[in-house]
Amino acid sequence: MFNLIRRDAIIQKRQLLLFIPFIIFFIVMNSHPALIFMVASIIIPFNAYAYDEKAETNILLNSLPYTRKEIIASRYIGAIVYMGISIGLTSLGLLVFDKPFTLTDLAIGSGLFLAFVAFTFPLFYIFRGKITTVIMISFIILAAVLPPFVSFLAKHLTIITDLIASLSTSALYTGVAVVIVLLYAVSWGVTTSIYQRKAF
Amino acid sequence: MENVVELKGVAKNFKGFSVNNMNLQVKQGFVTGFIGANGAGKSTTIKMIMNLLKPDVGEVKIFGLDYATHEKAIKERIGFVYDGNVFFEGLNLKDIKRIVGPAYKKWDDALFYQYVEQFKLPLNKAIKTFSKGMQMKASLAVALSHHAELIIMDEPTAGLDPIFRRELLDLLQELMLDGSRTIFFSTHITTDLDRIADYIAFIQNGELVFTQSIHEVAETYALVKGGMDLLDRDTEKAFVHVHPAPTGFEALTDNIKAVNTIFGDSVVIERASLEEIMYYMKGRKSYV
Repeated sequence: MFNLIRRDAIIQKRQLLLFIPFIIFFIVMNSHPALIFMVASIIIPFNAYAYDEKAETNILLNSLPYTRKEIIASRYIGAIVYMGISIGLTSLGLLVFDKPFTLTDLAIGSGLFLAFVAFTFPLFYIFRGKITTVIMISFIILAAVLPPFVSFLAKHLTIITDLIASLSTSALYTGVAVVIVLLYAVSWGVTTSIYQRKAF
Repeated sequence: MENVVELKGVAKNFKGFSVNNMNLQVKQGFVTGFIGANGAGKSTTIKMIMNLLKPDVGEVKIFGLDYATHEKAIKERIGFVYDGNVFFEGLNLKDIKRIVGPAYKKWDDALFYQYVEQFKLPLNKAIKTFSKGMQMKASLAVALSHHAELIIMDEPTAGLDPIFRRELLDLLQELMLDGSRTIFFSTHITTDLDRIADYIAFIQNGELVFTQSIHEVAETYALVKGGMDLLDRDTEKAFVHVHPAPTGFEALTDNIKAVNTIFGDSVVIERASLEEIMYYMKGRKSYV
C-alpha cells in the first residue's frame, strides 16, 4: 500500500520541482491562505490521475500483487498524505514570507480539498479517458464563481445565514467536519465498487 | 498440483465477440503455447487468467487458488509480459524498478541487474525511447526478477526481429531448466512453438479447439495429398478440410488411421505444421 502511494512521488518527481515555485507564486501574490492550502493539496493527487487514465497503467497495477480495493485505498489515503505534506510545505512558505495565517484557514483549505476529492475521484473511474483536464478546468471555474455565488446566497437567503449565525463556531465546524468525513467515506466506497467492476 | 492454470466452463461475452465454454489446463513445468488467429480470443483468455477481466460464468483457478480469496498470493507468483508497453513511458528503468520491485515479496535486485546487463538495457533512459525489442526485454527483465513460478506472455514475439526472437526463445528454454517453472504464452507466429513448446492450446473463434502435447498434435494431424479422383462424399469424411486444386487435393486429417485404410498408398501423408493446422481448421468453419 505504501508503495502505491510512494509511486505518485516517483512518477511526478520532475513536476514536483515546479511545486515549490508554484506555491511561492501564490504566497507572493497575497492569495488567501485557505486558497493556497487547497491549491497546494490538489497538485499531486490530481496530477497522478493524469497518469492513471491510461489503460496500460491499470493493466500494470492490476497485474501486480495488489487488489483493486488496495489500489483505490491508496488513492484516498494518498490524497490525505500528500495533503498533509503540501500543507506543511505551504505553512513553511507562509512563515518564511511572513504572511499571517490561522488554523481556520488551514481547516477551510483542507476541508474544501477533501470535499473536492470526494466529488471528483469517482468521476475518474466513471468516465473513460481524458477527464483530468475537464476536472481541473471546472475547478478553476468553480474557484472563480463560487465566492460571489456564496455571498449572493448569503444576501438573499437570510434563513440559512441566520441559522448558521445562530450556531456556535465549534458546532458549525464539527458539523462541517462530520459532513466532509461522511462524503469522503461514501466517495471511497462508491469508487471501490466502480473499480471492482471494471475490465481492462 | 499438476495444473498451474485451470479454466473450467469459462465464458465471456462482448458485443459481437465471445469466448465460450473454455476448459483450459496449463501443466506445471512445461511450456504451453497458445495459438489462434488475430481476434480468436487469446488476449481475452489471458486477461481472464490475470484477473483483468472477470468471466461471466465459469471458474478460473491459478495454482489451485481462486482470485476471490487469494488474489495477492496468486499474483506474487506470476510474471507477466504484455504485447505493448505497460510501464510509465516517461520513466527510466531504474524508476520502474523502484515502483514494481517493492510490490513483490520475493523481488531480487541482484537478479534484475543481471538481466539488465544481459539484455544490455540502459537504466537511465526513458522507456519511450526504447525500441520495441528493448521494451520487450525490459518487460521480461521485470517479469523474471521476482522468481515467478508462472510466466504469462501475451504475444511476446510480435514485432521482434528474427534474431531477438531466437534469443528470447533460447532464454525461455534456459528458464525452463530448473523444472518448476511454467510458461504460458500466446503467439500467432507458430514457428516459435516448434522450437520450445511442450503443449499447444489452440483457440478459434472464442472456442478452445484442443490442448495437446506437441507429439500428440503430430500424431493426430497430418497433411494428405492425392489425386482428385480419390475424393467422393464418403472419402472426404476422413478430412477436417479439403483444399481441391486441378493438380490434386491437399487436405488436413485428424484421423491418420482412417486415411491409411481408405487410401492406402495412393496418397502422400505428411506431417502437418501448426500453421497448416490453423489454416485448415479455419476452412472447416466455412465448410460445415
